[in-house]
Amino acid sequence: MASQLELITFLSMVSVFVVSAMLVKLPVSLSLVSASVVGALVGGTGFPIRHFVEGTFGYLDTVLVIATAMIFMKSIQHSGLLSTMANQIIRSFRNQPLFLLIVLTFFAMFPGMITGSSTVAVLTAGAIVAPVLINIGIPRNTTGAIIALAGILGMIAPPVNIPAMIIGGGVDMPYIGFSLPLILATLPLAVLFSLGLGYKHLGKIELNKIELPKSHYEDCGLTLYIPFIVLIVLLVVEQGFTGIVPSLGMPLIFIISASTALVFGKKFEVWKTARRAVDEALPIIGILAGVGIFIQIMTLTGVRGFVVSGLTGLPSGLLFLSIGISMPIFGAVSAYGSASILGVPFMLALLGTTDQILAASALSLIAGLGDLMPPTALAGLFAAQVVEQENYFKIVKYCILPGIITIGYGVFLILSPW
Amino acid sequence: MKFKGTKYSAIGLLSLSLLLSFFAGRSFLEMRNPKPIFAGPDVKEVKHLSDYAPVLAGTPEDPRVYVMEGEQKGGTVFILGGTHPNEPAGFLSAVTIVENATLERGRLIVIPRANPSGFTHTQPLEGSPQFFSVKTPKGTRSFRFGSRRTNPIHQWPDPNVYVNKEGQKLAGFEIRNLNRSYPGDKRGYLTEKLAYGIMELIRKEKPQISFDLHESSPEYPVTNAIVAHEKSMELATMAKLNLDLLDIDMKLESSPANLRGISHREWGERTTTNPILLETPNPSQGRLRGETTADLIVEGKDKYYLSAANKGLLFTDYTEKGLPLELRVAQHLQTVEEILSVFSSSNPEKAVSFKKIPDLSKLNEKGLGPFLTGIN
Repeated sequence: MASQLELITFLSMVSVFVVSAMLVKLPVSLSLVSASVVGALVGGTGFPIRHFVEGTFGYLDTVLVIATAMIFMKSIQHSGLLSTMANQIIRSFRNQPLFLLIVLTFFAMFPGMITGSSTVAVLTAGAIVAPVLINIGIPRNTTGAIIALAGILGMIAPPVNIPAMIIGGGVDMPYIGFSLPLILATLPLAVLFSLGLGYKHLGKIELNKIELPKSHYEDCGLTLYIPFIVLIVLLVVEQGFTGIVPSLGMPLIFIISASTALVFGKKFEVWKTARRAVDEALPIIGILAGVGIFIQIMTLTGVRGFVVSGLTGLPSGLLFLSIGISMPIFGAVSAYGSASILGVPFMLALLGTTDQILAASALSLIAGLGDLMPPTALAGLFAAQVVEQENYFKIVKYCILPGIITIGYGVFLILSPW
Repeated sequence: MKFKGTKYSAIGLLSLSLLLSFFAGRSFLEMRNPKPIFAGPDVKEVKHLSDYAPVLAGTPEDPRVYVMEGEQKGGTVFILGGTHPNEPAGFLSAVTIVENATLERGRLIVIPRANPSGFTHTQPLEGSPQFFSVKTPKGTRSFRFGSRRTNPIHQWPDPNVYVNKEGQKLAGFEIRNLNRSYPGDKRGYLTEKLAYGIMELIRKEKPQISFDLHESSPEYPVTNAIVAHEKSMELATMAKLNLDLLDIDMKLESSPANLRGISHREWGERTTTNPILLETPNPSQGRLRGETTADLIVEGKDKYYLSAANKGLLFTDYTEKGLPLELRVAQHLQTVEEILSVFSSSNPEKAVSFKKIPDLSKLNEKGLGPFLTGIN
């Protein structure tokens, strides 16, 4: 069989990963590296040092965003801003819990909408929303699921949807006319998921019966909010005035915003906080480096071609099944990677059969689910950190049904006659 | 069994990482050395793009400009290769012209390596080879296989979203893609400065026709294609008819008016030139490809593309013979020749014609090697 070597290589890589991670209990990052080394040997490419190192650069930008976003989150946590905002939101909206839930969901989506990154959404607005939701009675894991899903839907919602841009770029489709389809693809799901997961836990908020997060407003005043305001202003300026104002880049924006927390708010130990933030981000940074090597070796040995050509060359009924299953799974690498590697060939396969903009929007929605897919599961993993849950699978568990609904809705949008 | 990290395992892993980085670093640095291009008989002058746009002087994006002149006066034509260094037929077609072509009439201005920085690295996650070789009668000649984008060592970080000068919204990494950055910006990012430099060359030299030589994935609809701005459409249509007679399958595509930042659109909108972009199918850059090797670049043989062709998923013919590099170069050169021939016959005072160019028949007969005889 023509593809026998690629199949054997693929199975070797998966087997070594599973054995290393589950039996030998190596960290996921080192398990991915072990699988890549074996894949390269089995695939007949020897020990390609240059490719191992080059693969680690695949997600360098993402790694920097994650590390600096974590430093920002820890800084506003220690400066007292997180607990103060939670306290004030609960007090202000105590009589309208349902309204509060929906508004907070949209608020948690916002950073994703303007940056196109679910990680940024979860680690910024998600970190503010989480203590509020927990305090109004929504269980910790459900709260994690709500902010993870809001982060992903924010990443897909307009105006900035990078997976859609990547898919469009692959078929020469300009990123024009996407706003309405993307609103249609995301907002109904955002409302559905936040109510579906949170509504049953809502009751009347009795301030004297709950332990409110501590407010530091009395001590620090309005200046406490400056780090968050600086972040929002820099993000909006970055996206709203592209081409006019030079881009600072997300890592620098987070570092500038975090630095202001040193001045405005409770005093904290900066090095200890930054070190702890990076320390907490290290496992996922390691996984991203490992995933980069894994993909590089998959591509080098032809395993990627084996997988992609197998998935995209299916008859139409199976094609939709393949879209629904393979895009989120491949998104475990990254939603952007899924949009590029699979989204573009799927889009090419759909050309002429459906509305292109709607199809690209729907494919980006399905690709976005990759941010919930282990081993990376960026949105789930950071949501777990935000709600202080050590096992992120407990968060991801609550996202399974919404994930299935999202896939079904995405396929429906592709098939719809509009 | 559970792996437990210790101080010694940390030192061991760190040392191993440093060792690997050392060897990988040497490999990365090898790509910084440009392979020579040998000026052919009609090259009268070798300049740099910074001669047209001084802002590029001393930057990694200052490509060489080869000026060729014929015996008789005529018009001027501009040929740009290597916009995307992972599309080797575009680059090698320009090299083949510089090293071999002789002109009867007119001037030819050729930039074989449009984005020099893109030739200094390969794209992470793509598993690309760094070099490929072509056999010549004098030995093997090696070329670099680079990346579609400017090296991040030279331009970084990327914004989340790139809005180019024409307001086109693109994924952030496209800010390092020369063919999304036109008309460029003198004060912009490095790649935008490069695009500005190329616009300046076109504005100052006023070529009647400007070619941008590319390749695309075989599964991409715009392959085996002449992409023409409205201004160049008549010319391209006539040339296509001639190519049909030679049994060369080149589709005609009009430059989309709402896709801004691309050469065939912006050159046409902002200069007097007639822009033409050519695309040939290149399996080594597609997503369906199998093992990514130097042989794939040169021979263009891939079992997954064969399987995709059998399922009707490709926009080009594909058989067991593959899509060899010499065939793709021949397709480019023959198309250039036909377009110039059509233009010259209707504009004799501005004619640009070849006395000698390795076209389809010559490349079919001899292969690409005899036309790349300089050995590095």
